[in-house]
This record gives sequence, structure tokens and C-alpha cells, in this order.
Amino acid sequence: MSISTSGGEQRRPSVVSTGKKAPAGGKPAEDGKAAGTKPAEGKAAGAKPAGTAAKTNPAGRVPANRPGGGGGKKPQQRRPVTPVRVSQGRSWGSIGLFVAVGVVTAAIIGYGAYAVIQNGKSWEDKASAIDGITNFRESDPSVVDPFPGKQSHEPGPLTYKITPPVGSSHNNAWQNCMGDVYDAPIANEHAVHSLEHGAVWVTYKSDLPADQVEQLAAKVRGNEFMLMSPVQNLDRPISLQAWGYQLKLDTAGDGRIDDFIGALRQNASMEPGAPCSGGITATGTAPRDNVQGDQPQAPVGG
Amino acid sequence: MTIGSGALATAGAPADGTIERGPGRRGVGTAALALAILLGLLLGFASGLLAPGLFRPGDGSPEAGFARDMSSHHAQAVEMSILAHEKSTDPDVRTLSADIALTQQAQIGTMQAWLKTWKLNPTGSQPRMAWMPDAAGAVKNGLMPGMATDAQRAELRAATGRDFDVLFLRLMLDHHLGGIHMAEGILDLSDDAQVTALAKSMVAGQKKEIELIQSLLGRFGAR
Repeated sequence: MSISTSGGEQRRPSVVSTGKKAPAGGKPAEDGKAAGTKPAEGKAAGAKPAGTAAKTNPAGRVPANRPGGGGGKKPQQRRPVTPVRVSQGRSWGSIGLFVAVGVVTAAIIGYGAYAVIQNGKSWEDKASAIDGITNFRESDPSVVDPFPGKQSHEPGPLTYKITPPVGSSHNNAWQNCMGDVYDAPIANEHAVHSLEHGAVWVTYKSDLPADQVEQLAAKVRGNEFMLMSPVQNLDRPISLQAWGYQLKLDTAGDGRIDDFIGALRQNASMEPGAPCSGGITATGTAPRDNVQGDQPQAPVGG
Repeated sequence: MTIGSGALATAGAPADGTIERGPGRRGVGTAALALAILLGLLLGFASGLLAPGLFRPGDGSPEAGFARDMSSHHAQAVEMSILAHEKSTDPDVRTLSADIALTQQAQIGTMQAWLKTWKLNPTGSQPRMAWMPDAAGAVKNGLMPGMATDAQRAELRAATGRDFDVLFLRLMLDHHLGGIHMAEGILDLSDDAQVTALAKSMVAGQKKEIELIQSLLGRFGAR
């Protein structure tokens, strides 16, 4: 309402608005208050200037008037006051509009920035945000580094510091990790090599209920850079491994399993682009060389 | 100063007044204008920073789903083809398998690079094939259309001679049919130039390979 009204008036000479501007006040230009307060202008000359001049004058005249004090106040008063007040009256509407637009704009930009920043979070940050995860790369690099005095690729059986292992020296051959679901324990010496290639190794205690085993297998099957096997002497029902990272859990329904896979699968690779195919597909905890012909039947499952 | 201006004003009331007022208002107006321009520049700068992030494919986009799923689909083709290159004694099968393995491994690299550029993980939060509207039920036992089961992969590893060649060609035929289906799916959904260009090349290339596979199967008498 007010906006439209003021707009209409706007068109008209400032004089009209003058009346308004002292909302309380009367219409007449004479409103003493506005006029009186500001300028005590009394220029004779001032009055004369045509409408055009009048608008511009107000400010300038003030100084001039003071000394002289004087007469034709009305035109002058009206002129100066009017423009100011008019704009004020109108501006509430405009200000509201601008504020609203501004708030919406800021919200959109803010949300965009938030989304972009969240989206751009590093996988390390996403991994460290998982409750209960252990980052051995930081907490105990000796779990990840090659064994003292040994190479990263060592033949034969190796004894690891933690169970299941998450890094350190390993055999030349990796365990096939093309979503392979092994139903019997596999050799750490090969599985660790798979981790090095970026695989997530899902392990579980042999007595984990069958439905939970299947629940885990469904997260593995068909996904390269994933493998799964039971592990002897596991201290918790489920344990997830990536190179340098481990998360131990009690149930297959735990939402952190997806978080772990999402953050670390492929990302935790020490050799990005290295394959999961062409590896050992046999089960059994004794490590073996990846020799042609020594590829007993396949992974079990699915 | 004041006096001076006053004097001036007195001298030529209208003109002076105009002048004096003008500068005052103009000063304010100029400041407001400068501020507006500055704000505009800042907004433009901010949106320039944000826009690439807002307009690149997001985590749940068809492009991201395609890049992830086709990478996995390809990875299995590479696995089977490397096996064929190792085991087959047929020169045509060895040539075809090398072609498939190297081409699809290169395409995996391309698609993984997209995901990195889009700041997305190789693993998505949505199920396989969720990006393809009509693909409900297409994923069976965790496997996307055309993918070999673990049992079939084991069978392939165990097979030898002609049996191996025939099994490889049959599995790869299904694999390509599934892959073409997915590539055509993203062509319906995406306008991203690099994504559609690669998808088109997949469709064209795999159709040619299907012709070759069928002729080889014919030669093996297994068509």
C-alpha cells in the first residue's frame, strides 16, 4: 500500500510529498516544523528560481540564508525537506525488498559454499570423522612401515604386529580383490598387498551369524577393490582394513561400515591405479607364490 | 571554507546552491555507487569461486553414478581379458582380449579422473545403477548387467583350450551388451560433453567388438 501510494506521489512534484513527509503534520507546506527547524532561509532570490532551481537550491541556500535570515521560506523549506522525506517513506518498502533479496541471496550462496566445501572434504578428513577408526599411519607408523631390515616385498611367511594387519611388508602376489568373497581364511601376506593397491578388506570372526556374513558379503560382491574373508583369533566380530586404517565393530548393520568403505576404498591406495585382478584366488593362510597353475579354484561365495 | 562558500552562494544564489548541493549529494551517491560496485564485484568473485562447484556433477548425479559403475563394470572385463591374454592359444582371441583390456583400463582411468576433478570419491553413497531410472532390479547379487558371477569367473579360470576361448567370448558378449545398455543410459541422461563423448565411443566400440566376438564364436562353432 504505502509503496504504491508513495510511488504515485513521487511522480508529482516534491511539494506534494512535503505534506506527507511529516506524516503527523498537516499537508500545507507551511508546516512550520520542518521548514522552521532547518533553514531559516529567507532569500528572496531563492524563491524565484523556477521549479528546477528550487530542487537544487535547498542546501546551498541554507548557508546563505543564515546570515540574512529571511523570507520566502515555504518554497525553500519544502524543497529540501521533501526530497529527503519522500525517499525515506518509500525506502521502507524498497529496503524490505532489498533485505529480503539479500537474505535469500546470502542463503543461496552460503548453502552453495557449504555444499562445495563439504563436497571437497578430503578422504582423510572423512575417514578421521568415523567414530572408533584407528589411523595407524599417524598413531603407530611401525604397523605400516616395512619390517625393520626388510623390504616391502618379502617372500614367505611374515609375522604381523596386529591382527588383522593393515600394512607393512608383504608377498609379491596380492590376493584377488575383485569383490571376492572368500569363505575361508586367506594369507595375510597377500591380503596386505591388496590393501596396498587400495582394497578394503572386510574380515569377520568365524562365528559371526550367517545372516550378518551375508549382509557383509552384499557390500563386497561385484565391487573391485573389495575382498572379504573370515579371520581366526579376531577379538571383535567384525574388522575392516584399509592400508593404515582399521575399524572394529560388533554388528554387520553398523552404519560406519559404509562410511569406511566410502572414505577409504581406492582412496587409501599406496599405488593408485594398481589392479585387484590377477591376484591369488586360493584360500588358506599359508602364503604362496603367484605361480601359473597355482591358482586353485576360485573364491567362494556369490 | 564555510564562509567562502556562503559568500559564493550569496553571490549567485541559484547557481551556487545547485553546485553546493550537488557535491554533497553526489558525494553520498558516489559512495553508494562505489559500495554497490564493490559489493557486485565481491558477489561476482564469490559466485565465480562457487559456480564450478555448483555446476559440476554432484555425488548423486547420473554422471557420477555412471563413472563409478562403468569403472567397476570395466574392471571385470579387464580381469577376464587379461586372463584370456594369458591363457588363450588363439591369436584372434589374444588380440581381442588385449584390445579390450587396454581400452577399458584406459577408460577406467578417464572416469576416475572425472571423479577426482568433481571432488567425488570412487565409492558413492547410492546403490549400483541407482542413477539409471529404468534399471531397478538390474543389479543381481551385487552384479551389474552383463557381469560374470563369481562362479563363472572361477569356471573361466579353470577352463582351458577351446572351452576357455568359447567361455571367454560368451562372457564378454554378455558383458558388452550390459555395458552398451549402461552407456546408452547415460546418453539419455547427460549433456556433459566429455561424458557423452566417452559413452558414445563405448557404444560404437563395443558394438564392433560384438560383431567380432560373434564371428569368432561362429568359427569355434559355438554361436
